[in-house]
Amino acid sequence: MLNVDEMPERVRAFLGKVEPSWTNVVVDSYEVMTGGYSRLLAKVELHHDGGRETVVLRGDPPADRSLIFTDRRQEFELLRVVAEHGVRTPRALYFDPTGEDLGTPTIVLELSKSTSFMPYVAAGGSLEGMHVRLAEALASFQSTPVASLPASMERPSSWDAYMTKRIDAWRQASLRHVESLPVFHYVAEWLDAHRPPEAPLVLRHGDFQGSNVMVTADGHFEMLDWELAGIGDPREDIGYFKAVAQAAPPDLLDDARVEEFCARYRELTGLNELQVNPVTIAYFLVLGVVGTVEQLVHGGGAWAKGENHLFNSVFNMSSVLFGQSMWLSFLGQLSEPMKQLAAAAKGGA
Amino acid sequence: MFSRPTTEQLLAGIAEQLRTVVAAEVQTEPTKILLQQIDQILMSCSRRAAHEIAWIYEEADRIAAETGRNVGHPDSLHLDDMVAWYDAASRVLSEEVEAAFRSGDEARIAKLKAVLDTRSAVEMQILGALELVGRG
Repeated sequence: MLNVDEMPERVRAFLGKVEPSWTNVVVDSYEVMTGGYSRLLAKVELHHDGGRETVVLRGDPPADRSLIFTDRRQEFELLRVVAEHGVRTPRALYFDPTGEDLGTPTIVLELSKSTSFMPYVAAGGSLEGMHVRLAEALASFQSTPVASLPASMERPSSWDAYMTKRIDAWRQASLRHVESLPVFHYVAEWLDAHRPPEAPLVLRHGDFQGSNVMVTADGHFEMLDWELAGIGDPREDIGYFKAVAQAAPPDLLDDARVEEFCARYRELTGLNELQVNPVTIAYFLVLGVVGTVEQLVHGGGAWAKGENHLFNSVFNMSSVLFGQSMWLSFLGQLSEPMKQLAAAAKGGA
Repeated sequence: MFSRPTTEQLLAGIAEQLRTVVAAEVQTEPTKILLQQIDQILMSCSRRAAHEIAWIYEEADRIAAETGRNVGHPDSLHLDDMVAWYDAASRVLSEEVEAAFRSGDEARIAKLKAVLDTRSAVEMQILGALELVGRG
């Protein structure tokens, strides 16, 4: 996908094969895009006898340039499912599962007309009501029936089993790393000792953050980059969004907005005040990042062992360092509120 | 060997040259982002180079004092040996954290949390200001 001399012809031939209604396809421009964290991205402008089109290619980098390994087929199938359920996300148009045509397994997406959230904020875009829109965005994809999700997605046997596995992922990330990470063990033990009230398992985005959402012309959020999606606790994506916002503001779930966010989210999902509140969000601010953290730590460890040569793997370890400081601070403040929550849940049971 | 300018100074100096001279000549967006990432990493390396050995010693001593366990000594002051020793001391701390939670002894947990807080404070000193360049 990085070969800008070769790719226009590959794209032309591929689209001619998968979209027979487009005759005499001519690729006008092929541009490698920045901002793709783990996948290669390219924007293609083309015309054919029926009109003009702009599409985005989202493909796997070469194995030795991969930060993380995820399944393009699962992502393609998921994109189709969430689009069918009315979730705002660019539609997946075509798929080259093997890379036979486009050089690497690639999803062809429609180009979003929305504005990336972070540049929107940087340009002074209004944040008025965006926390409520955030609740609506989360509820929109989390209401996708689990039964309709790709068969390749792991189905946890229960909420408890799921939580046990997610919490243990902190310990495992340390045990697999090139050096012991005591903060990870502390986080795992603390999370285990302070489990929140149970909630139904749903589709979770897995990397729901400011960099992966866009703002539509009518002020709603559109979601991108579903490669880390899975089935899990609905509060993980909320906590994760807030976690990333600590390093990359704005925090739409700050003290001034979080209660209103929670109220709208509860209204849409049917979850109760014991399940969704600022305290449980803070709990999942820590737990919710484990999927990304284990990938980042794996990348940094591989770099240290000379198994990959991707400079991003080193750079991303800075985020883990920053995170450690944040997790320790949050957990220190959360012990007592989590105990009170557990007592309230027990009293109501 | 020449010990001055120090490694700390040299790395900071390289970062400054990249920032003030090389960056202006860079045309493509991916390379500009890479250069900003390199700048942040070089500055972290500079801060680490100045204190790394001392920080390892100080933390290992703290782990031994708070856990009552013998963390031994490094085989030498060469960095590979120091890092191997630090890993061994860190494993002791990880084990003690797990044991403390299993015991439910809140005072013991709080003591170990203080060791982790100090460790994290050093990490933040190394990190400086985090800017997530290249995202969004």
